[in-house]
Amino acid sequence: MKRTPERIEALAAEYVLGSLHGAARRRFERWMMESVRIRQEVWFWEEKLGHLGTRIEEEQPPASVWAGIERRLWPQVDKAGGAEAANEGAGRWFWPSWSILATAAALVLAVVLLQHPEPGVDDHLSGAIVQADVTDPLWLVSQSVLDRQLKLRPVAATAAQQGKDYELWIVPEDGQPLSLGVIPVGDTYRVTLDDEARKLLSNSRTLAISLEPVGGSPTGQPTGPILHVAKLYRL
Amino acid sequence: MSDIDSEQDELMGLLMAIAHEDRQAFQRLYQRISGRMFGLCLKLASQRDLAEEAVQDAFVQIWHNAGEYHNERGAPLSWMLTIARYRTLDIMRNRKSRPTSGDAHLERVADEREGPLDESLRIAGSAELRGCLDELSETQRDSILLSYYRGFTHDELSEALSSPIGTVKSWIRRGLMALKRCLER
Repeated sequence: MKRTPERIEALAAEYVLGSLHGAARRRFERWMMESVRIRQEVWFWEEKLGHLGTRIEEEQPPASVWAGIERRLWPQVDKAGGAEAANEGAGRWFWPSWSILATAAALVLAVVLLQHPEPGVDDHLSGAIVQADVTDPLWLVSQSVLDRQLKLRPVAATAAQQGKDYELWIVPEDGQPLSLGVIPVGDTYRVTLDDEARKLLSNSRTLAISLEPVGGSPTGQPTGPILHVAKLYRL
Repeated sequence: MSDIDSEQDELMGLLMAIAHEDRQAFQRLYQRISGRMFGLCLKLASQRDLAEEAVQDAFVQIWHNAGEYHNERGAPLSWMLTIARYRTLDIMRNRKSRPTSGDAHLERVADEREGPLDESLRIAGSAELRGCLDELSETQRDSILLSYYRGFTHDELSEALSSPIGTVKSWIRRGLMALKRCLER
């Protein structure tokens, strides 16, 4: 097929629009590789028609999409390699924002000792998430080894603002926070910790709550402000 | 206008950092644009799993190709959305699947022509593009927008607009050329 300027012009437009497909599309892609002039013609349309794509209604992809991207680009950061690997690369960035948010927050973060251990139970973690201007704790937290559950009981906690959810995180000593899910409004939240989560929590004894879009963070990592950070006590 | 410019500057900065393998910048970029990208892919494919796959592929490509971005390729956001759009079209065509078919299919298209499509058009992109699209005939404009937003093939357009395939092809081709003349004015 002859590459006349008219033909190039027409095919470039259809290529970008997407109406050129099959063998014709592949042939045109070869032409593009061979000619700057043809690529420029394509870029013209990508730039012009690109305006159509920028104002479409947003829709947040599920967290699994970001997780999949990370898995494909940096497979060593995934799961087993876990905490150490995450802390070397992508993980490190996260810490400055945690510490800044935790110290700059208007909320005073404190921990009070609230519960007494049940006799004979080892490694029982307990504490509360409090806020300076609220007399009662927002949530009481307890973890027992026996049933491997972490319990978060609301006391003075109120629902997140419209269109938002609270999400609970274990903040490990090293690496990325681990989500423990979205905290439901009004009920005691019980989450069963797997071995990894128990180990992380046992080492750092630190929980955090962030404000996220409804349904939780779309990325698998906190995206909204960190509202509370609490250190639990070992009883 | 300055908001748009400063956003493009920010995205440009992120792309430059990503070209130097800055993962933090990459995650920020994802947080900034993944909603818009997913919205576009979802509109095009009408299938969540397909749109999710396309967004993943697009971001993997952006990570590897950020250094290849340059001014001639349009604004950074358009460039990245274009990557996602091509990827969506590729997957759609590979699967050769459509979520709906037959009458339901036609009905949806008819609805699009009356409502959301016009809405998209009103708020879409630059005033320049909007003005030039307005100058096209209704059939030219509809076939171009259905191709862009829905990824319709000539066959599908022919069915959707109840017109012979040759006619549809010529609407698109003439419409695009008229659009170009207008945009170049």
